[in-house]
Amino acid sequence: MSQRRVLQELVIEPGTGKALEVRRGQILRIEQTAGRQCADFNCFNLHDYKEFFHTGRTRHLHGLHPTKGDFLWSAPPRERPMMSIIEDTVRTNDVLYPRCSAFLFEHQYGLPVHTNCHDIQAEAQREYGLTPDDVHDSFNFFMHTGVDQHGHPFIAKNTAKRGDYVDLLALIDVLAVPNVCGADVMMTSDFELKPLKLSVFEATDDDWRAVVEPPRRTNQRTPADFKVQTIKADRELSRDAGYRPDFTNVPLTISEIDVELTDAELDMLRRLGASGKFGETDAEVLRYVFFTWWIEKFMNGPKHAAPT
Amino acid sequence: MNNKTIRLRLNQQQLELIDKSIAAGEAGSREDLIRRALREFAAEHAPAAPGDAKER
Repeated sequence: MSQRRVLQELVIEPGTGKALEVRRGQILRIEQTAGRQCADFNCFNLHDYKEFFHTGRTRHLHGLHPTKGDFLWSAPPRERPMMSIIEDTVRTNDVLYPRCSAFLFEHQYGLPVHTNCHDIQAEAQREYGLTPDDVHDSFNFFMHTGVDQHGHPFIAKNTAKRGDYVDLLALIDVLAVPNVCGADVMMTSDFELKPLKLSVFEATDDDWRAVVEPPRRTNQRTPADFKVQTIKADRELSRDAGYRPDFTNVPLTISEIDVELTDAELDMLRRLGASGKFGETDAEVLRYVFFTWWIEKFMNGPKHAAPT
Repeated sequence: MNNKTIRLRLNQQQLELIDKSIAAGEAGSREDLIRRALREFAAEHAPAAPGDAKER
């Protein structure tokens, strides 16, 4: 592999974070100095902070534990891959839990003044003029989590070791904001806060070859597509008297399609319907069957289908 | 043979998805595509008919 050129190296101490400009084609490495340390992470389009990383879309497309080969997606309606995870030596990342906050430590632990990821992010982002309201749900690197059989999320013991790292290749110019998770009284970082090393490299051709080609669609929108293009600068909400609703494809009109089934096909439908899982009427079962079949056969991406 | 007609209620967006599948060559008509879906889905997910069990 060709040698990467190091552009910047620094260490962030417990209770702190750092906003870094990472340009397209540069790699941010977040590395364990001692091990077992969670890194919360925010990410903004460097040229338009209203485009930012979205845990929800990332979770939808890559599951609860995104890792090598996955993207960090921006929020709808932008929905672009902002960064690509090109290396991950631990593979215990989380996009389920929100950042810890001052409220959480006060409410759950009786600790009103405590290090927490929201306030650390806010303080680091303040260097670029962002407010505490601009902190978004975090990508939690090295946070070992799961969901139990009853659907409850849990935090497991952190397994990252000294020298473990994730490499994030910027696909657009971003403001990347990692922080040392401030939760020292939770399982997140094994009840001890440790520094994290940050490195920024120039990506090599080998690095680019590790990036899966991201999709490009007409609905990855920009502010030029918005009906309101200026960013609202005051806090009060007031009604636009000139507003006229303009919802997509509305009115939605219903058509009736008659589908003639043979005895054999009707028997298939009734046997499926007898399970009670697909609908109450023949028409409901047939509609369920059709779209479930279509999703399984033709839809791009994870299917999210319930077991049948 | 005693065929039965099932009436589906679909909006224009759902029909668009069906029509695009037809344009892509997946079936000759909306009804054909829906019947194909039923047959293929049932082959994988429907419990065996009572007659099938007796033959084993």
